[in-house]
Amino acid sequence: MIKEQNEPWQSGMAKSITFIVTKDCQLACKYCYLVGKNSKERMPWEVAKQAIDYILDHEDEFREESVVWDFIGGEPFLEIDLIDRICDYLKQEMFRRNHHWFNSYRFSFSTNGINYDSEKVQNFIKKNINHLSIGITIDGTQRKHDLNRIWKTKEMEQGIQPKPEEEKGSYKDVVRNIPLWLEQFPNAGTKVTISSADIPYVKESVLHLYSLGIHEVNINVVFEDVWKEGDDKLFEEQLMQLADAIIDGGYYQDYACSFFSEHIGKPLDAKLDNQNWCGAGKMLSIDATGNFYPCTRFAGYSLRSKKPIIIGNIRDGIDQNKLRPFLTLDRTTQSPKECIDCEVASGCAWCQGENYDAAETPTIYQRATAICKMHKARVRANNYYWNKLFRKLELEGEREEYEKSKKKSNEVIC
Amino acid sequence: MLQYLIILLDEASTPFCSLTPCPSDPPTPFRGRKEGGLIPLETLRQGIRFGMMENLMIQYVYPDKELPKEYLEVIESIDHSKIRSLPLTPPKEGGTEVDVWVTESIKDIKADVPVVWRTDKQSLFNSEADIIKALENVPRLNIVLTDIETFIEEDFEKYKSLLEKLSKAIEQMYVDGKAPQLNLLTDRMMLSKMNNCGAGDTSITLAPNGKFYVCPAFYYEDETDCVGDLEHGLDIKNKQLYKLEYAPICRHCDAWQCKRCVWLNRKTTLEVNTPSHEQCVVAHLERNASRELLNNIRKHGSFLPEQEEIKEIDYLDPFDKRDTWQ
Repeated sequence: MIKEQNEPWQSGMAKSITFIVTKDCQLACKYCYLVGKNSKERMPWEVAKQAIDYILDHEDEFREESVVWDFIGGEPFLEIDLIDRICDYLKQEMFRRNHHWFNSYRFSFSTNGINYDSEKVQNFIKKNINHLSIGITIDGTQRKHDLNRIWKTKEMEQGIQPKPEEEKGSYKDVVRNIPLWLEQFPNAGTKVTISSADIPYVKESVLHLYSLGIHEVNINVVFEDVWKEGDDKLFEEQLMQLADAIIDGGYYQDYACSFFSEHIGKPLDAKLDNQNWCGAGKMLSIDATGNFYPCTRFAGYSLRSKKPIIIGNIRDGIDQNKLRPFLTLDRTTQSPKECIDCEVASGCAWCQGENYDAAETPTIYQRATAICKMHKARVRANNYYWNKLFRKLELEGEREEYEKSKKKSNEVIC
Repeated sequence: MLQYLIILLDEASTPFCSLTPCPSDPPTPFRGRKEGGLIPLETLRQGIRFGMMENLMIQYVYPDKELPKEYLEVIESIDHSKIRSLPLTPPKEGGTEVDVWVTESIKDIKADVPVVWRTDKQSLFNSEADIIKALENVPRLNIVLTDIETFIEEDFEKYKSLLEKLSKAIEQMYVDGKAPQLNLLTDRMMLSKMNNCGAGDTSITLAPNGKFYVCPAFYYEDETDCVGDLEHGLDIKNKQLYKLEYAPICRHCDAWQCKRCVWLNRKTTLEVNTPSHEQCVVAHLERNASRELLNNIRKHGSFLPEQEEIKEIDYLDPFDKRDTWQ
């Protein structure tokens, strides 16, 4: 009756292992946190193979029930030949070793969707369709998408930014591939990122994505400190309008938008609700030189002002001491008092990498609070959404049925 | 809350804790120290003034050399304690008595003040007899391991074995009516809560360049890693992370004698509030040996009756038990 977000595959039971196959991308999205993208750092096959051998050789260090082999860039499908070779090798080796991950694995991609219909990518998809998750990022309407997701130019590689009138948006190059993608992955969701300039287009963008046939829109505001005075009010207004549109239009039955969740905006107990939000450290990321990171956000190309946190490499293995801070990190130890005492704390997310990058010292134990006012705006609109929706369900005699069928939580942890 | 101001009187002041050298450092009698000169007299005066205004107990760390007379006068202008290396040329004039001796050799030491012995694991494992002898000749012996981060399983076994042997010797000394103090074994018996180094929390260090550091090791490692200066005052960013409550592993731990060295923490785990596996195991081997010692001494009669029993535990690294407190 009310569509809820799909949980990620094997949520909480799968190890996420990310190959940074390239730092290149066809686009130069303005909100991209990858500040060090370049066309030179591509993962050699030998590095990928050595990484796989290390991981599969050390089965006792990777005890999770399942694995998500994740591929990230830049744009990962720029390296489709390498990815295909990696995936073939993974399958062969997991089978040959009778590894506990064989038959419990996924290949996962977040792509800009531009070369989704290319022959090589399509052949790869057909070959691996039963073990594949692919998310195409489309930000909403053309004007919202093209505001940020613009094509990279040669001048940009030399640090020269184009004039606004010279910017070329990528909407049309992506949207043409959406029908094929939805045909192959009917339950797929898209990821939408909201920065300051995007706020006026939130409502129209979510509804536009619904109209394209995308039933699940995972949307979040950027964690970086980009917010201007008044952004929270504008954001709140957009979400209120979106709430009205979703409820009045009956979209809530078949479509989900991650902005609205019954479980956000409540106080959190300092002891019982003390878990870390972010999964950094439980994941593993590998770059082109064979270095290991607790998450891609700790690789050099993701960091504005801090040194990368390298937790090992394919030759020497993982330095378990470097993982200890990540695996013992909890909510209250890294949060300022205002967050611990916050009456609408639940659902307020953070990114460990952004926390580290923004911290006053090189620590992962200082929570960045740049999204505070945006979260509070979201909570106000979210309260409005559920009050309005519940009243509607009550009037239509459907509230009881909803309460019986609802999931416990639909918050997705990174 | 800050209680102590450590003032390094010279750029080559005596290292007294786990500070280890950079591989490129030239070998020196005390590893890790810099070449250089005395703290400027005016900087020393300002440091003392800062300590007085902040109500801090001052601890001077001396170089091996004699200090000029004008320094001694300034040093004596405030109540303080002195840390210097052993052996030392006998003081020529009054006012140079020492509160803590630091040595890198355990052989034949004799003193009427506490002695800190800085040692690597290899020397430690080979010095059982010298340690026992030293315990007879000093009121207190603090053994500081300078290479904990290099411990492997084999070293843990050797350390455990050494602690057992030292424990037997100390037990006998207690039976004989003596009360030797060895930080590795007797501290935990006496403690009822964490008693760690306190760098950045209860103590701060003033270096000869007039800048504050979390502890001497931070200064020796990287002079730019300061936390304020005499002109502008202290500025410890994220200072809560030096407190026990903000150390997720340590706040669940009862190896209360552990040095909890924040410099070593940062070196090994990149976070000042997170100890390495090696640090935790070493501290727990000491804790468990202290437990045995306490139980064994009590077999001879009443001993520290107000102290609770040290419980038996089934782990050496609290990190392995994180599921029980997360």
